[in-house]
Amino acid sequence: MTDAATDVIIGAEHVSKWYGQVIGLNDVVLKVQPGITGLLGPNGAGKSTLMKLITGQLKPSKGVLRVLGEPIWGNAPIYSRIGFCPEQDAFYERMTGLEWVTALVSLNGLGETASRDMAVRALETVGLSDVSGKRIAAYSKGMRQRVKLAQAIAHDPELLILDEPLSGMDPLVRRKMIRLIKDWGRAGKSVLVSSHILHEIESMTPNIVLINQGRVLAEGNVHQIRDLIDEHPHTVYVKADETRELARRFLADDHVLSLRFEEGAVVVQTGRPDVFYAQLTELAASGELGVIHEVTSPDDNLQAVFQYLVKS
Amino acid sequence: MSARPTLFSSALRVFDFSLGQMLWSRRSVFLGLLVGAPIVLAVVVRIFAIAGWLPIVNGSQVGGPALFGVLMWLLFVRFVVPVLGVFYGTSLMADEVDDKTITYLFTRPVPRASVLLGKYLAYLACVVLLLLPSIIIIFFLVVPIGGSIGQAFPQLAADLGMVAVGVAAYGAVFAFVGAWLKRPLIVGLVFAFGWEQTVLLIPGYLKRLTVAYYLQALVPHAMPQDSALSMLLGMFQDLPSVWVSLVCLAAIIAAALWLGGRAVENREYVLEQ
Repeated sequence: MTDAATDVIIGAEHVSKWYGQVIGLNDVVLKVQPGITGLLGPNGAGKSTLMKLITGQLKPSKGVLRVLGEPIWGNAPIYSRIGFCPEQDAFYERMTGLEWVTALVSLNGLGETASRDMAVRALETVGLSDVSGKRIAAYSKGMRQRVKLAQAIAHDPELLILDEPLSGMDPLVRRKMIRLIKDWGRAGKSVLVSSHILHEIESMTPNIVLINQGRVLAEGNVHQIRDLIDEHPHTVYVKADETRELARRFLADDHVLSLRFEEGAVVVQTGRPDVFYAQLTELAASGELGVIHEVTSPDDNLQAVFQYLVKS
Repeated sequence: MSARPTLFSSALRVFDFSLGQMLWSRRSVFLGLLVGAPIVLAVVVRIFAIAGWLPIVNGSQVGGPALFGVLMWLLFVRFVVPVLGVFYGTSLMADEVDDKTITYLFTRPVPRASVLLGKYLAYLACVVLLLLPSIIIIFFLVVPIGGSIGQAFPQLAADLGMVAVGVAAYGAVFAFVGAWLKRPLIVGLVFAFGWEQTVLLIPGYLKRLTVAYYLQALVPHAMPQDSALSMLLGMFQDLPSVWVSLVCLAAIIAAALWLGGRAVENREYVLEQ
């Protein structure tokens, strides 16, 4: 059930959060509608603070925050309707993926068999069935991201809150996860997904909330800032087996502005992130240049866009 | 979809997966040392006894049951049990915060206090299951030195009960300290080895604000009785009865867990980025 009067999934009324003398979030007014919404902002923008407030880990210093029509702080029962995939790469490493997801789902008050069944389904959904019996410590970065997603979706929540969910995934898994999140939205569920990469958010939803320096700068359609993004070079870190071959291929493209090598990786600057990501996904799918392990993007490029937005 | 989890049912779920984590944690090495060292000491005492090198007090050789009593009181009740309470109790929540796994527990439809309670039960199981066998081994190594296992056996049962109650009481107190304070370890150590040790030597009512005061009343035999200091202390001793001690220790455990639960419910845990 959402806020009956306004059909608002997440509503913040003049919410502020201070950490001692430091302002984490400043007078945020926000109404997130049902469907998929992207929360976009560079590191240090206040995204994490807002996510922690929305998931009830922090209490607002000022203002009112309601999730699914109810206050979230100190409201444990509401978590049966919410699934949360946090940003941090933290697990009970000695547990297997299946044990971990089962244990967390069981905290929803389900019996052992029901919890296990739900965990099995969730792990299947994120494509981890074949490694569900392996210890999480042995998982790759992408697998760890997916098992986090599995624990968030396992109990079939109405609202899914995902904090940087695609970080570290390889292109193929990233494409699959984006499809999964979109399917979730099409099924009538709501998703709030945070990222510092516009391209990621854009591939899931046109609805975005822009946040920087603890303030919400804008809410609305992603296409309005799309052109601005394209003016700023986008940096992508690609960890792969055949970095030199990949670099050779990238250099042949006009939109690639520069590249450099790091240990086991190539860092590319592109003027057309959408084209670059599409090509990268095709390369990963074909497998002709070996395995691409990880794709991440620092937020320098987005920071430049935000500086531009703040100035204008 | 499912019944709303209660405090106790949620605590049992947390207990289920915390026990394994606790047993395989780095602290288990520490626990192993604390549990293993007294066994090594008991072996050394046994070797000394075989060689006839045991100390003579008041003209007679110290017997196994007396040595066991000294080990129980000075080593276990006054040192091992408080140390385990401090290091495990203060870390129940801190470990989840440091490992950044607390998010998964606090975004589930369970009372936050159940996380503390479940982890406290796991601590209790983990420590009691490892500590009590160690005491039994020491009993069989030391008591036969001039003593009868059969005669001392009921006392062993009482000592095991006292240690279990001590583990529960110190664990609860330090679980509260850990849930309440941001840097609980120093406060815990000061309480266990500053406040408790000092106040027990001072005549008056202050000693009633310690856990050790009620523990020593459970098995007074275990206190060394053959030194000038113990005779002096005896003058000031006004030990409560066993039943009063048990009730007071139960009250300490309940109050500490309730306060700890309240602290966890109301506290914001800000994870380091």
